[in-house]
Amino acid sequence: MIEQAEVKDRIREYVLEEFAKAKGIMQITDQEVLTKNGIIDSMGIFRLVSFLEETFNVRIGDEEITHDNLESVDAIERLVIAKSKK
Amino acid sequence: MAYILQQLLSKSAKAYPEKPAVWARGRSITYRELDEGSNQLAHLLRQRGVQKGDRVGLFFPKCVESIISMLGVLKAGGVYVPLDPQAPADRVGYIIGNCGIQILITSAEGRAALTPETLSTLECCVLTEGEGNGSDLVAWSQLSEFPATYAPAVALVETDLAYILYTSGSTGRPKGVMLTHQNALTFVEWCADEFQVRSEDRLSNHAPLHFDLSVFDVYNTLEAGATVYLITEDLALFPTSLANFIETQGITIWYSVPSALILLLLHGRMTPDKLKSLRIILFAGEVFPMKYLRQLAEISTTSELYNLYGPTETNVCTYYKVERERLAALEHLPIGIACANTECFSVTPEGRLAEKGEAGELYVRGPSVTYGYWADPEKTKKMVVPNHFQENFEEKMYRTGDMVTVGDDGNYYFQGRRDSMIKSRGYRIELGEIENALLSHPGVREAAVLAVPDEIIGNRIRAVVSLHLAGSLGVQELQQYCASRVPKYMIPEMIDLYNELPKTSTGKIDRVKLATESVAVR
Repeated sequence: MIEQAEVKDRIREYVLEEFAKAKGIMQITDQEVLTKNGIIDSMGIFRLVSFLEETFNVRIGDEEITHDNLESVDAIERLVIAKSKK
Repeated sequence: MAYILQQLLSKSAKAYPEKPAVWARGRSITYRELDEGSNQLAHLLRQRGVQKGDRVGLFFPKCVESIISMLGVLKAGGVYVPLDPQAPADRVGYIIGNCGIQILITSAEGRAALTPETLSTLECCVLTEGEGNGSDLVAWSQLSEFPATYAPAVALVETDLAYILYTSGSTGRPKGVMLTHQNALTFVEWCADEFQVRSEDRLSNHAPLHFDLSVFDVYNTLEAGATVYLITEDLALFPTSLANFIETQGITIWYSVPSALILLLLHGRMTPDKLKSLRIILFAGEVFPMKYLRQLAEISTTSELYNLYGPTETNVCTYYKVERERLAALEHLPIGIACANTECFSVTPEGRLAEKGEAGELYVRGPSVTYGYWADPEKTKKMVVPNHFQENFEEKMYRTGDMVTVGDDGNYYFQGRRDSMIKSRGYRIELGEIENALLSHPGVREAAVLAVPDEIIGNRIRAVVSLHLAGSLGVQELQQYCASRVPKYMIPEMIDLYNELPKTSTGKIDRVKLATESVAVR
């Protein structure tokens, strides 16, 4: 089981390495809206969800793949924590 | 009958002043507000020096101000140039310089993203949000100081330019397709008739505004006095949210690239009930895989489905109304027959008209065809060519570069490209533009960019690169470098580093060999 504090680090690192850097963006804040500046595109969303499911052993339903749940590193962390507690 | 685009708005603003015209991000404006706002913007632009034919750039994320801006520029007699808000500063700067934009409508964020060199070429920026400075920064709130009830008097004819859309160019720089009022209206009038767009209709706008699919969404809405719902990134990327949006807003006409519909099918939790408001679904920009089209036809029981085809240079030039009873047996989706006021024909490599079943390049003639590319007579001459089938007077036709055949059913069928242009998510991508971007890096020796077919988005982009000094650059560094030169959708998703690229016997890069080598698809 991954420690809660580690969750955000893992998410931030994944988003940075997998999406942001490949698009020429070298750093992101935890509040940055990832969809607004094109860091994550429509296919990226589903890669991100697979990563979250595998890494944190949670199940994310299609209806939970929403802007509110995935818009920033902070939002993704909230989603993962809420799902892990269930 | 309207002969310039803004007349579509004038007519509907008179008929339906209090009806919502545009909705975006939870906010909507009425026809009166759109008409008055664009009048005011037009006066402001004229005061700032915009003359007939001057280019004005639009560089900000989609919102109701986008539509006010398009109409405001037209009413000032100008030519609007929608710029991809996510494009790198280098590319935006190139376009601004290429077509000589001196006035830019942008957001504070957009302005901050421009390079100092680009900023120094601009006379002023009109900001969609934030404050002005009394000189080269104009706040949106200043619009209220200008007359709202009438537009500036500018003499325009239908053959004047209305907008310029930049698409990928094979030589490494994007090229600006010039479109006139007549080009746009030829298409809009055909759509109005074919789809019978009515004032009760609610149209979605999924495509970005620098993409020509949006011409239908915006101008057919205005033509009919309907309402257009601009789909922004907070909805576009999330299929279940998008499916709910279609249902709650009661969208009646949808138009997008197939990949957007496929994502809705795969992840949108769609039911026939959710889509029951839709009466027409249009798609264009790439080939719709039959498997998914059959699924769409099954779930969307109330709508007519249309495959629209055409490059930016002609907008839509052929269409196929999906015949549901043929879907089960149909192997390839036709691109159909020519739209009204448009003639298409396919020409063999020898320059004669192709026979039935024979492959030929699709040519287009008629009032929808572009004049060509801004400030690029060479490229224009290659693509917009004299109609040698017509000897009695001078006339131009456009060669699409698309190879087609005519089937037994009388429909055109798309067979492939004559060159190395590909489509990904409906975007036109010249592989040469990406190769040139990679080659412009001083550390890169050779580069070949290949398309890897993908069932959902059409193609993914893979680059194979050799370096002057092995190990001097990594994949991420190369992607970052591309990000500074090309739009995000053109950055190679996969980059393989080779010591040397394989060559054919004539010493050219062996693309066939590269394409057949195993691809590590994520």
